[in-house]
Amino acid sequence: MKMALTINGEKRELEVEPYRSLLDVLRNDAGLTGTKKGCDVGDCGACTVIMNGKPVNACLVLGVEADASTVTTIEGLGKDGLHPLQEAFIEHGGAQCGFCTPGMLMMAKALLDEIPKPTEEQVRFAIAGNICRCTGYTKIVEAILHASNR
Amino acid sequence: MPVIGKSVRRPDVLGKVTGGARYAGDLALPGMLHAKLKRCDVAHANIKRIDASKALRHPGVKAVLTHEDVPRVLHFGSPHPRSASLACDQYILDRKVRYWGEAVAAVAAESEEIADEALDLIDVEYEELPAALTVEQAVAPGAPMIHERRDNLVVDPVTVKRGDVEKGFAQADLIVEGTFELGRPTPAYMEPNVCLCRWEEDGRLTAWISTQTPFMVRGILAEVLGVPLSKVRVLVDHMGGGFGAKQDLFQTEFLCALLAKQTRRPVRLEFTRKETFLGGRSRHPGTVWLKQGFRKDGTITARQAKVTFNSGAYASHGPGVTAVGTAALTSLYRCDNLLLEGKCVYTNTPIAGAYRGYGVVQTYYALDIQMDEAAERLGIDPCLLKLKNAVREGDIAPSNHPIVGHGLEDCIRRGMQEVNWNAPKPGKYRGWGMGCEMHGSSAYPGIKEQGNATVRLSEDGSAQLFTGTTGLGTGAHTALAQIVAEELGLEFEDVSVVHGDTDVVPWDIGAFASHTTYMGGRAAQMAAEQVKKQLLEVAAEKLEASAADLEIQSGEVRIKGADKKLSVKKVVSPTRGMPSKQFIASATYTPTKSYSFAAHFVEVQVDGETGQIDILQVVPVHELGKIIHPVAAAGQIEGGIQQGIGHTLTEDYVVDLKTGRSLNAGFVDYKMPLSLDMPPIRTIMLETAPDPGGPFGAKGVGEDPIIAIGPAIANAVYAATGVRLRHYPISPEDVLKGLREKR
Repeated sequence: MKMALTINGEKRELEVEPYRSLLDVLRNDAGLTGTKKGCDVGDCGACTVIMNGKPVNACLVLGVEADASTVTTIEGLGKDGLHPLQEAFIEHGGAQCGFCTPGMLMMAKALLDEIPKPTEEQVRFAIAGNICRCTGYTKIVEAILHASNR
Repeated sequence: MPVIGKSVRRPDVLGKVTGGARYAGDLALPGMLHAKLKRCDVAHANIKRIDASKALRHPGVKAVLTHEDVPRVLHFGSPHPRSASLACDQYILDRKVRYWGEAVAAVAAESEEIADEALDLIDVEYEELPAALTVEQAVAPGAPMIHERRDNLVVDPVTVKRGDVEKGFAQADLIVEGTFELGRPTPAYMEPNVCLCRWEEDGRLTAWISTQTPFMVRGILAEVLGVPLSKVRVLVDHMGGGFGAKQDLFQTEFLCALLAKQTRRPVRLEFTRKETFLGGRSRHPGTVWLKQGFRKDGTITARQAKVTFNSGAYASHGPGVTAVGTAALTSLYRCDNLLLEGKCVYTNTPIAGAYRGYGVVQTYYALDIQMDEAAERLGIDPCLLKLKNAVREGDIAPSNHPIVGHGLEDCIRRGMQEVNWNAPKPGKYRGWGMGCEMHGSSAYPGIKEQGNATVRLSEDGSAQLFTGTTGLGTGAHTALAQIVAEELGLEFEDVSVVHGDTDVVPWDIGAFASHTTYMGGRAAQMAAEQVKKQLLEVAAEKLEASAADLEIQSGEVRIKGADKKLSVKKVVSPTRGMPSKQFIASATYTPTKSYSFAAHFVEVQVDGETGQIDILQVVPVHELGKIIHPVAAAGQIEGGIQQGIGHTLTEDYVVDLKTGRSLNAGFVDYKMPLSLDMPPIRTIMLETAPDPGGPFGAKGVGEDPIIAIGPAIANAVYAATGVRLRHYPISPEDVLKGLREKR
């Protein structure tokens, strides 16, 4: 099936299998492998992207559902130099193995778009669907709070 | 020190926050096929017949492999340590299956979807055999034989004997005894196992694998596939975690390579999340029976233990975990009279393997809870009892080496201060608990471990470190680069790390056992020392000084106490673009065994109505000798505590005791702590007991933090409720049951 969408500010026309998830479309058809596949069933949040302004698990969205939509992936977050969230993750140790990081950052971006100065509780609530197995979340929460104060 | 002890920007993290970091699963090659595995739905059976003809006719399917099509080579699937390959018990695919979910066939097809469809077209007829789903069933007379041994033992039992345990118990004023039941947590790394294989025109195999042990994997791939070692190249760049479990081969690597060979196309095989449970490795479930004798003053007079580990269907790290976990009970708290027996039993359940804490999580859970129990019965504060018995300098460590740089007492004392340990109990159902641990780096019994490194200078005065250790995500490569920069007197940014290619970098044992900073780091420092010597010899000529009078700081060679200086770049490359010589050195480090120490303090609030345990705060105190990168080191500790909280309270990979079926192979039903579940962690890192064998005195930190947190939680629950729990995971129901029994 043919679909057209805007990914990270660029118009893309893609020929995709109708059963492919947005995650597979991004990774395989659009060549954007920054978005990670941790479970493919919506449990881990590693594939979080922002679609039409809202965070979604890309594995739970059919690719064709994203037709005519606007999608921002991790590759689009720091297009014009590092985003304050990316800076904060580097500085505060918010990433270890890095596999949850793209999804975590996109979820954090969606949070800060909605609530620019979140409380710690709001940060923890926002990323509750993004599993990290390395950090204990301590430094991720620190990094997001730090970025929100910049 | 200008570089050591600074939380420099980790170069690997830049790619991780921008999406540019390439993991093995991100790679695609032209003409690449996709592979999937068919898994069995019986716990124990002979394969009577397996027919792949329908699958082979399915459009888009390029190859199917069953046990009839693959080399039948008995091997040890766990590469480490191959010198102790006591338990060769795996085939690439076998005529028999030994647990529910074991692979029986592999398909390569034009797409993942086609490969998936083809799995259903493979007909398998099983002759079901009685299954032993528990250790009790496996060791009962007449139990079904899972492998070749009638007793279903993975290896001969381990016995550690010191002094006279009977005499010790006879001298005791108090004897405490108990049995501890330990569940089956799994590492649950975020990146599912993945492998991509391609055969080159000259008959060489290139394999991109998410593995902690590329050199060990290369060796086993070569052996089992019957290919010369020189013709196998293993590549690994970024890894999405491993926590020990990604040391093994998962049969997928062989199958991926064989499918690629047969189809003459690159083949990619990625586990689904469910398969990371079915085909992955868990921690060993088991039981620890422990008995200790104490004098009135708290002195331990005897310790006896019977440790039983459930290995699941294959040996994997069973022999190592049994040896390390059992021997761990010789130490932490001093005792001269010991009788420790450890055994490891096959069952028809998923495979247990290496996982952060490696057998020690299990045995120290028992030991530290029993110390807490003994303290109460002796009327001694648990911290003081542990202080009294804490291992000290020169005591014999579990590895049979004298302990250097002991730090347990410092950790306990500092923690007591931090949490105001002697303050009155904060309120009903609320309490503090404390647990201790020590863990070895490079402390594997019976083998000599080895770290290697090569350091080279380029003509611009920058340095490259070549290391075989993989980048698991811990920040180890950054720490190694810091060590080289410090030793050479360069800026951190002037050192880069070359890794991840078995054709290029020095041999490495693997990134596990809290090795990398301690052993790889010391090797890197040694190589840098030699390069520095070469550099200073040349600089001495140019500066007309003696090499002994020179020092290097911030990329400049100076005569000590004088103004005369020369940049490293000028020394290396007096003629622009051409070095004066090749500055390069390699080093091998064969370490003595090193131990790190920690005490964890945990405050809990228990809900008396529901039994819910809320962890209010954790104060971990770790003795690390020297901290190379404070943020990365603290990150290891916080992450370990997260996994430890999960193990202790919620995580258990459950096998149905009637069918052997996995009941919670996924992230909805396997419950790990999420962001809302994690308490505040106030990490304290000490540098009071450096290890002279480590780089600048540093020790390992990777495994330690997962060990002490468990008993600290159980002891805190006791302090809060008076309910003594001797198992994990501890559910709210367990606490409620305990509360009811007390009423």
